[in-house]
Amino acid sequence: MKLERLVNIDRRIVYLCIAVGTTLPLLLPIGLPVSSTPPVRSLFEKVESLGPEDVVLLSFDYGPTTAPENTPMAEAILRHCFTRGIKVVVIALFPIGGVTMAGEVLANITPEYPQLQEGVDYAFLGYKDGAQAAMKQMGVAFVNVFPVDNGRRPLGEIPLMQRVVNYDDVDLIVTLSTNVIAEWWANLVNAQFGTPVAVGATAVSAPKYYAFLDSGQMIGLLGGLKGASEYERLVIDRYPHFARLYDRPGVYTAIKGMDAQTVDHAIIMAFILFGNTVHFLIRRRDRRAGLRDA
Amino acid sequence: MSQLIGVWVAAFLTLCIFSFLSRDNPFFRFAESLFAGVSLGYYIGIVAVNTLVPNLINPLFGDFGANAHLLIPLLLGLNLYTRFIPRIAWLARISLAVYIAYYIGINMVQKIQGEIVPQVGSTILHPIGGVMTPVDNLILIVGVLAVLIYFYFSIEHRGAVGAVSRLGVWFLMLGFGAAFGYTVMGRVSLLIGRMNFLFIDLVRITGQVF
Repeated sequence: MKLERLVNIDRRIVYLCIAVGTTLPLLLPIGLPVSSTPPVRSLFEKVESLGPEDVVLLSFDYGPTTAPENTPMAEAILRHCFTRGIKVVVIALFPIGGVTMAGEVLANITPEYPQLQEGVDYAFLGYKDGAQAAMKQMGVAFVNVFPVDNGRRPLGEIPLMQRVVNYDDVDLIVTLSTNVIAEWWANLVNAQFGTPVAVGATAVSAPKYYAFLDSGQMIGLLGGLKGASEYERLVIDRYPHFARLYDRPGVYTAIKGMDAQTVDHAIIMAFILFGNTVHFLIRRRDRRAGLRDA
Repeated sequence: MSQLIGVWVAAFLTLCIFSFLSRDNPFFRFAESLFAGVSLGYYIGIVAVNTLVPNLINPLFGDFGANAHLLIPLLLGLNLYTRFIPRIAWLARISLAVYIAYYIGINMVQKIQGEIVPQVGSTILHPIGGVMTPVDNLILIVGVLAVLIYFYFSIEHRGAVGAVSRLGVWFLMLGFGAAFGYTVMGRVSLLIGRMNFLFIDLVRITGQVF
């Protein structure tokens, strides 16, 4: 009977363990090491190969619901691009909050680079509905989709957009995505226009993108918080001055988040092992009892 | 002060949603309904301001002659609302037909050119080729064939076909396991984000104001 009580423990005990396992590492960071994987290194090296003459199209295809995963990616990639002087065109194709997230990330990052000029070093074109149609039409001309930027300025008046007409003028597309939009960047834009595409995906959608990675339709993949932490680590290792920025207390980063993630995974695995062990003990006990009764 | 009110409202709504962990309750249902309503309102506003105004209204009022062709999508869009008038509700089908036809066309090319052909191409590998990944190639080829056999229902899954089909199930289980592991990671990440908000951002912003 005691064993039955063990498999039927109140689920709120599990919730409490997870809550404590999540909160403590956030308040008292452990500083667990983060190692990088080839899909993340591939994107990092691609950005490293670009310079001030090159253009990255950064598409915010996620909303606040997945911000803890996607925002650290966006910030690390944007910092990396701005540090290398790469020109960045920012758009949003996700309806529920994409443009808001893009605006917030730009507002956080651009003050770190006071030399940057909006319209010259980066452009924020805003949100457009109908992602597939917009993607297709941007292959003809950005101005057909975004006649004005997010600040209502005609595209013709933006110096950067005078030389970025369509995908031919873009060296890399990075989509930070929560759903199927990342797939469209690969199977529509990469397939039809040939522009290299990299994806910063939520963990839920990351597994299916490995097929695109293997086929060369995506040149890099950041999978969830882990992918974001790897990119942060690569940026810090290559540009050590970022360490101070990422180590600031109270600032949420993917590296700090991975401490909590690791503790939570250990708790979940412990509960799985515990549940299975008790289950097999009950089975063995019942089998023995059956033999004795027979 | 407005930021302070904003973060405390957000904290209250977060706790309302978390309260579902105990049991269903009016606070959870209030927060859930509010989220659905606000999301819809946000969506309508963002589409109107970011798409309808700059891509339709402004061009039509700015230079009607050069943009007269935009009347076609405008009329097709307005036509969708005829479904609320029973006598002419059938007219809405015309707009829907155009919409569906466009996306079928775009999707067909996407799927064939952008998925089927390159994905099949990347599976055509030398079974033991490559310097670094001979085993990977073999696993990939065997896995794809075994899973395809599992989903091939025109032959009864017995004997050799049954064995390969069972192997396909193993590959599927491994795939589902990896996907589920990623899903757990994703959900935990979202929890981390909320906990960070409750225990760090909320405290920091409140401290800054007072």
